[in-house]
Amino acid sequence: MKLKKILFAAVSAGAMLLAAPSFAATELSVQRFFGACDADFGTNTDATKAVGECGIITSLINKFNADNPDVHVNVTTVEWPGYDQLTAQFASGDAPDIVTIHESVLSDYQSKGLLMPLDDLLKSVGVTPDAFTDAARNGATKDGKIYGLPTDSWTMLYHVNMDLFKQAGLVNADGTPIFPKSPEELLAQAEQFKQKTGKPYFVQNLANETALYTRNLYTYLFQQDSDFFADPKHVKLNTPEARKVVEMYKAIFEKGYTTKDLDYGGSINAFLAGEGGVHLNGTWVVGDYNAQSETKGTALNKGGYAVYPYPQLFGGAHAQYADGHTWAVSQKDRTPEQIAAIGRFLKFFADNDFEWSRTGHLPAYKAVITSDAFKALPHRNTISAVADLGKPLPSAVQRQFAIQDIIGEEMSAAISGQKDVDTALADMESRVNELLANI
Amino acid sequence: MVDRLATSPTATLAVGVRAPTADIYAPQWRNFIFVAPFLFFFTTLLLFPLLWGMWLSFHKADTFSSGNFVGLGNYARLYHDKVFLQSIWNTFYFALLTVPTLALIGLFLALCLNRRTRTAAVLRTLFFSSSVLSVTIVTLIWRIVFIPNVGLLSTIYGWFGATAPAFISDPSLAMIGIAIATIWWCIGLPMMLFLSALQQIPQDIYEAAALDNANRWQTLRSITLPSIKRTFILVIIIQIVLQFQLFGQAWLMTRGGPNNLTKPIVLYIYDTAFRRWDLGLGAAASEILFILILVAAMAQYLVTRSRGDQA
Repeated sequence: MKLKKILFAAVSAGAMLLAAPSFAATELSVQRFFGACDADFGTNTDATKAVGECGIITSLINKFNADNPDVHVNVTTVEWPGYDQLTAQFASGDAPDIVTIHESVLSDYQSKGLLMPLDDLLKSVGVTPDAFTDAARNGATKDGKIYGLPTDSWTMLYHVNMDLFKQAGLVNADGTPIFPKSPEELLAQAEQFKQKTGKPYFVQNLANETALYTRNLYTYLFQQDSDFFADPKHVKLNTPEARKVVEMYKAIFEKGYTTKDLDYGGSINAFLAGEGGVHLNGTWVVGDYNAQSETKGTALNKGGYAVYPYPQLFGGAHAQYADGHTWAVSQKDRTPEQIAAIGRFLKFFADNDFEWSRTGHLPAYKAVITSDAFKALPHRNTISAVADLGKPLPSAVQRQFAIQDIIGEEMSAAISGQKDVDTALADMESRVNELLANI
Repeated sequence: MVDRLATSPTATLAVGVRAPTADIYAPQWRNFIFVAPFLFFFTTLLLFPLLWGMWLSFHKADTFSSGNFVGLGNYARLYHDKVFLQSIWNTFYFALLTVPTLALIGLFLALCLNRRTRTAAVLRTLFFSSSVLSVTIVTLIWRIVFIPNVGLLSTIYGWFGATAPAFISDPSLAMIGIAIATIWWCIGLPMMLFLSALQQIPQDIYEAAALDNANRWQTLRSITLPSIKRTFILVIIIQIVLQFQLFGQAWLMTRGGPNNLTKPIVLYIYDTAFRRWDLGLGAAASEILFILILVAAMAQYLVTRSRGDQA
């Protein structure tokens, strides 16, 4: 009897040992930007308690790992936007399984066959493209296929310090801020603001910056119906429309209506310290700024915080530049278990898009953007309009981040007076076209 | 004596017949084994990439394909590229700002600290300590100094009600800001080289000068400086080669801005090859940098050789 028991125990132990490998968790490598915040959210699995992009995405991935013990997600956090590193990883055959990629950048990697089309995988987990908002679906679709799971649509916004706007007399009777309707009105209101408050109208991160300049230019070119990328291989920027925009920002710079020497972090600090009226920043800070405005003693708590799309300054289409974030999947040989795990990860993020939309980004799913829960979030009544206003560059335009750098460099030179406007526009156009001609 | 004279030719002959001595300097294939490990790494990690880079510079290539042969097309594009020409000027301007300053401050510090006191030893360590920091830490420290509104410089200027110069974003100051950070970072090596040169000057020359009533300035001009002339040239050449490879400080402090005014050649190469995927153009720019550094290295070789001949 005793011998029988020992034999049974030995066989059981052996069976468990043999079976152990089949219980090993499937490893997924995930690479993302949005910053690192492990000190605050490293172990948090309740996304509802997290704030900001970093807090929410960290908590969501923690939750996914907790809910799926048979899958383990290893996260690599890269400095925004991380494409230099990703390109090197692809070139060396060491790309992560899942990676954050802007919709505007998807075509760079997709055109080289480096990304996996996701239509079938998403269908297998019950996510269909008709659930996406139009902006998200268009942004994630390349050559008729979905190459990234859209998580949001984002754009630049007017973040307003209402206390200073009240001091400047730029508030309507209903308490909403008064915004300009033309470049001339913008300059007049900025002057009024400066006279009344002694502070600049704009808080901008102009120090060694490129993205902000470029997004501003795109927005106001769209508002003038300028079809500057009619040919995705050839840009037209040496135009009267572009000149109007650059000259407007040059006047803002020269007349002291903006902060000048701040980098991105410095501009956030300056706005939160009440050093200017309007901060030009993206959807991603709405959650953080709103939290600040609810904290007593802060500059935003004094008179309130409001956030709006860019005002319509020109007579053309009601539009502003927009982009979106996606989860893309690298093209490589995988086991059915790995593919299934990726499907579950993507499905998890599709299901939790509301939590992600608390960052301030607009949801990528119709069901979320029309939900009462989303509408009840602070300031969504003013910024939801971006879902219709948002307009990306044509998806066939490649190297959009490199183009952004060139345009930003030349705009910066023109606005700060290093170059005259005509030379900067001519250089901008020829440099972008030289880049596109050599792809 | 006679016996010895008679026997010695026989002995010599016997030795010659018995064992022909092996020529230890004769080429032997097995000696190759000793250098094989070095040659393997030299070839795979240095020679092959060098030749591959040259080959790439004649091709229109991106990160994921080697593309088509374009001859000197990439070099022609560089010739017409205002940003590349600007980056060459930036690199020379940066070397002009840093190299003489590093040599002069290094020499000054070495002259001040070339004494056997405890204070001098502590100060030597202190001035050298910045050299052990990584470029990331150095740029972080200097960003904290230069950053507008809340930086150290702004705070100090604020005490006097003044506005601090914008060393990170002002077109005329940005390169100077990077040069200041670099000089602070790199001052240790020139100082140490000068110190070691100063300590090799024979003391008796100074004693002779003292007997001749030479003052400090005369001693410095006629004894110290001529004695360390070769070290001075060495410091200049080493620093030219080092500062021509500026990358980290410019990337982390200004990203090459404003409007490419602080973009050195290495940053141009990085930007072109890895951010715009224009690998052929980036490789061509690397070859230009290679030639520039080669000229500097050859200058070092020629200068040191001619000095050696005279000696």
